Amino acid sequence: MDKKLLTIDVSHGTTHDGPGMRTTVFVKGCSLRCLWCQNPESICPTKEVWWDKTLSIGCMSCAEDCPTGSLQCREEGIHIDRTVCKACGACAEACPSTAMSWQGQEYELEPLLKEVLRNKSYYDQFGGGVTCSGGEPLLQSEFVAEFFRRLQEEGVTTALDTCGCAPRKNLEAVLPYTNYVLYDMKIFDPEKHRLFTGQTNERILENLKFAAEYIRKADHPMEIWIRTPLIPGATALEENIRAIGGFIRENILDVTTRWEMCAFNGVCVSKYDKLERQWEYDGRGAMTQAEIAPLKAAALSQVPEEKLLVSGMIREN
Amino acid sequence: MSGVQLDFIPKFEQSERIKVLEARNQELGTNGMRQYGTYGDHRCWLNIGPFPKMEELPSVKNGYKMTAEQWGEDYEFMLDNMEPHIYPCETVVGEIYWEMICLRTCGPSGWTMAPNADEIRAKIEKANELGGGTSAYGHTCPDPEILLKKGFGKLLEEIRANIKKYTDLCNERRARYLRGLEHVCLGCIHYIERYADLAEKLAAEATDADEKARFEKIAACCRNVSVNAPKDFYEAVQLLQFAILFDRATGHGNGYGRMDLYMYPFYKAGIEDGTLTRESAREYIAEMYMKLRGQFFSFGGRLEDGSDATNEMSWVALEAYDLVGDYNNLGVMWHSDMDPDYYDYACDVLARHGECIPVLINWDIMHDSILRSGVPQSDAWKVVYSGCQWYCLPGLEWCGHDTSSINVVRPMLRALKRAAADDVADFETMYDYYEQELHVTMQAFQEAEAAIDRVRGEAQPEMFTSLISHGPIERGIDMTGPRGVDYQNTSLNICGIPNVGDSFLAIKKLVFDQKKYSLQEVVAACENDWADNEIMRQRFLNQPKYGNGLSEPDDMYVRVATSMQEVAEGYVNQRGGQPMRPSLYAFMTHLEGKDTFPATPDGRHNGEVLAHGINPQAGASKRGLIPMANSASSADMRRFQGGSIQVDIQPKFFDGKENRYAYIRDFSAGFFKNGGMQLNIHIMDLKKLEDAMDHPEKPEYRNLVVRVTGYCARFITMSRAYQEDFISRVNYSSMS
Repeated sequence: MDKKLLTIDVSHGTTHDGPGMRTTVFVKGCSLRCLWCQNPESICPTKEVWWDKTLSIGCMSCAEDCPTGSLQCREEGIHIDRTVCKACGACAEACPSTAMSWQGQEYELEPLLKEVLRNKSYYDQFGGGVTCSGGEPLLQSEFVAEFFRRLQEEGVTTALDTCGCAPRKNLEAVLPYTNYVLYDMKIFDPEKHRLFTGQTNERILENLKFAAEYIRKADHPMEIWIRTPLIPGATALEENIRAIGGFIRENILDVTTRWEMCAFNGVCVSKYDKLERQWEYDGRGAMTQAEIAPLKAAALSQVPEEKLLVSGMIREN
Repeated sequence: MSGVQLDFIPKFEQSERIKVLEARNQELGTNGMRQYGTYGDHRCWLNIGPFPKMEELPSVKNGYKMTAEQWGEDYEFMLDNMEPHIYPCETVVGEIYWEMICLRTCGPSGWTMAPNADEIRAKIEKANELGGGTSAYGHTCPDPEILLKKGFGKLLEEIRANIKKYTDLCNERRARYLRGLEHVCLGCIHYIERYADLAEKLAAEATDADEKARFEKIAACCRNVSVNAPKDFYEAVQLLQFAILFDRATGHGNGYGRMDLYMYPFYKAGIEDGTLTRESAREYIAEMYMKLRGQFFSFGGRLEDGSDATNEMSWVALEAYDLVGDYNNLGVMWHSDMDPDYYDYACDVLARHGECIPVLINWDIMHDSILRSGVPQSDAWKVVYSGCQWYCLPGLEWCGHDTSSINVVRPMLRALKRAAADDVADFETMYDYYEQELHVTMQAFQEAEAAIDRVRGEAQPEMFTSLISHGPIERGIDMTGPRGVDYQNTSLNICGIPNVGDSFLAIKKLVFDQKKYSLQEVVAACENDWADNEIMRQRFLNQPKYGNGLSEPDDMYVRVATSMQEVAEGYVNQRGGQPMRPSLYAFMTHLEGKDTFPATPDGRHNGEVLAHGINPQAGASKRGLIPMANSASSADMRRFQGGSIQVDIQPKFFDGKENRYAYIRDFSAGFFKNGGMQLNIHIMDLKKLEDAMDHPEKPEYRNLVVRVTGYCARFITMSRAYQEDFISRVNYSSMS
C-alpha cells in the first residue's frame, strides 16, 4: 500500500460532498485538466508552493533562503520561476507568516483516521461521514481503499468523489469500501470532453457502467450521485445535459439516487492568483435563473424530478 | 398594540394583556428604568431614584456593625420602604427599587469594613499581582422548593424555634445570626402583605368588573402567600416571583434551579382539577419572565433514578419565553436520553429567537463532575445549571461562584522569566517551573480567600438565599459561613488557558525543538511587545493553535487545563476545608488583558484581549466550527465546574437549509456526545451589530439582546469595549 496520502486539504463540516455533515479529504493529483478547475492546486501530483499576498509581511525571508534563486520580488509581489524551482520548500520553511506555503500535506493512515474520527459524533447526528475528493482519489486508490475499509469498520460511511478517469483496477479496489459514489459527468461528447478536460470520456463512461453493475450486486448499501458542474459554454449546454441525462436514464438510473447540477461560481480565482496562473473563467459571474431554466428542463426530459438537484449560487437575473 | 416590536417568528399569539405588559416591559428596558445594563444577570430593579430614608437605615442611624443581624435589620428596613405598585393588566405583581449592596456603606465588599480590612486588602493585592482575583458577588442557587412547600410563616416559626434553642444553649453567635434572619423573613412577609392591602383597596375602588376580579385575585393570593404555602399554580408563580425579587434585592445573580421539577406538582394539580390551562400557565410564567429578566432557570436533566426529568412544565417554561422573547437567561440540560421532541423544541426556540436562549448544557457532564467532587448520588442528581457557566446544587451548596479567579498568564510569564534566567535546556523543566508558579498563585489566592472567608458570614452574608437553603436556619450559620450548607467548595474562574497552551506549544517548537530562538529572546520580545521583531512574532503567531481540532495544540491545552485543575484541587478553603474547583470560564478577566497584560508567546500583542474562557484566541480558529468544537471538547470537562463555547452564527449559515433547529440539535448533540459541556449559540448578523454600535438610537436595536458570555445583555447598553470584544469573536457563516 502507498504509505502516505498526498492531500491539499482536510475540510471539516462540509455539507456538499455527500449526505449529512462530512469531512472531505481533498487529495492531490488529477487525471483531468478541466479548464474551469476549482482546485488548481490539486492538479499536480507532487507538492508545490504558492504565495498568498494577503498574508505577506514583505520580509523577503523566502527569497533569502531559496537555494535555486527562483524567487523574485516584482511590483505585483513574489514571482516563483517554476522552471527553476525544485519545490524543495525552503521558502515555505523560511516564511514566518505562512504567505509562502506548501500545497500538499502527506498523511499517514493512522493520523488521518484519528483526525477524521474526531468528528464521529457529528457524522452520527447528521447522517454524514467521510468523503475523498480531489484531485482524483483513484490515483491513490490503495491508500483510499484501506482508509475507507477502516472507516467502515468504525461505523463511518464513505463517499468517493471521482471524475472516473482512472484504471479499472483502481476503481475496483475502492468500490468494496464505498457507500456513495459521487461521479462526475461533465461533457458527453468525447471530443469536446478532450478539448475541455484533456481526456476523452470513453473510459469514464465504461467505469461508470462498471460501478453501476458492481452496485447492483453489492452486499452493502451503495448508491451513485452523478455530479455535473454547469460551466457556461462548456458543460452548460442543453444538448450536453440532455445527452448526459439520456446516458443516466438508459444505463444507471436504477442505482442513481441523485443527479446534481452545480452552478458555476468564481470563488476559486484567488487560488489561480496564488499560483500565478491565468484562469480561463476569471471575471465570469454567477449564472442566472434564465440560464439555468432550459438546462433544468433538458435534464428533466430524461430523469424524474425527485432525482434532480440544482445547487450553487444562482442570480435572479 | 403598536409599540411592541417582535424580533422573532412567534409560535404563540400574544393576548392583548400580554401585549400591554410586553410594551411596558420593553419601555422599562430601554428607558433606563429597569436596571440591568452590562452585568445584566445581577439586576432586575426599577430605578425610581435613591433610597429616600438613608439616614434612618439602621446601619447609618445606629452606626455600622459588621454583623449579619444588622444586615437583616437593614434589609427589613429597605423592604419596608418599598411601596407596592400594581400595574395595568398584571396578575403577577411585585417590583424592587434598591439593592442592599447599593444601600450599605460597605458596598458589595463587606470585608472592607472589617477590623482587619487592611490585612485582607494586602492579601488580595498580593493575589492580584500573582494572577489570583476575588470579588464580592455570588452566583449560587437557593432551593425555592423550600419556600413553595413551607411558606414564610413556617420558616419564621423555624427561625424562632432555633433562636430559642441557641439562646438556651448559650450560643449567642448563632442566635444573633438567626435574629438577623428573622428580620429578613419579617421584611418579606410585610412586603407581600402590603401588596395584599393595595390590591384589596384597588378592588374596592374598581368599577370595571374584570378589573375588580383581577385585583381580588391578586389580593387573595398575596394575603395567602405572605405567610402560607401557595395553594395553586398561580400562587406558586407569584410566591416564586417574590422570592426571586427578595433574593435579587441583595444584589447578585443567583440561579433558581429546576423550575420544571418544583413547579410541576402545582401545574399537574391545576390541570387535573380544571382550574388551570396550559395557556394560562404559560402566561403566568411569561409575566414572571418579563418582570425578572436575567433569572436563571433550567429545565430537563435527569431524575434520581437516571430517567429523563422532562415533563409538561418543562415545555410550558420554554413556551413562556417563546411567547415574549427578549432578555432572559434560561438553560436546557441535555442528556443522552432526553425526550427528543422537547430537545427539538428547545433548538427550535433558539433558532427562531436567535438570542442564545436557551443555553444548551450537558447535564451528564455536570452530574459526573459533581460526583467526581465526592458528592453522593443522592444529592448529585439535583445538580442544575445555575447561570453563566456553572452548576450548583440548589440550596445545598455555596461555593462562591464567580467570586474568585485565576489568570494563568501571570504564572506563565513568571515561569518563562525564571526559565530564561536559569537558561533551562528542555521543555519539561520549563513546564515544571510553570507548575511551581501555579502553586505560588494558588497559595496567595488561598490566603486572600481565607481572610475574606473568616469575616464573610457577618460582613457580606447571603441572608435571603440562606433563608431558602438547607441548613442555615437549623445551624444558625449563613450559607457563606463554614458548614452553613453541606457543600462548600471554592469555585475558581480560570482565564487564559488557550493563551498559555498556545504559548507553550510555540515555545516548545521554536525554542526547544527547532532552536530558532532562545528563551531569553522570547521573554525580551514579549516584554518589548515584539518591537522591531515582526518576523519573530509572525513565527510564534503562526504555530498551530488551539481551536482548530489539531492534536498538538489541543494536547497542550488539555495539559495546561489539567495542570490547573490538579493544582487547584490540592488547595482547600477556610469554609469547611473543601477543595477548590476550577471552571474554564472568564467573566471579564480576559478583557483585563487590554490594559495590563504584556505580549505573550502565542504571538499576541500587548493590549490584545486574552482568550475568553475556552474559546480560542480571537483569530486563531481558522478551520471552521467543527474543529473548533473538537478543540473545546478535548479536555475532560468532568474535571471542571463549567466551560462553554460561544458559537456566533451569521444568518447566512442557514441559507438553503429548511430546518434550522435540526442543525442546532445535531451540532449540539454531536458536541455533547464528544464530551462538550455548554453551548451558547447566537444567530446574529454581524453587520447589524456593527451598525448598532454606531447607531444605538435606531428603534430596531432597542431589543437587540446578545449573550455576552454566561449571561445576556442588551447590545446597545453594553460598553464599547464589550461590544468590540463581542464582535471580534469568530463568526461562522458556513459549517466548513
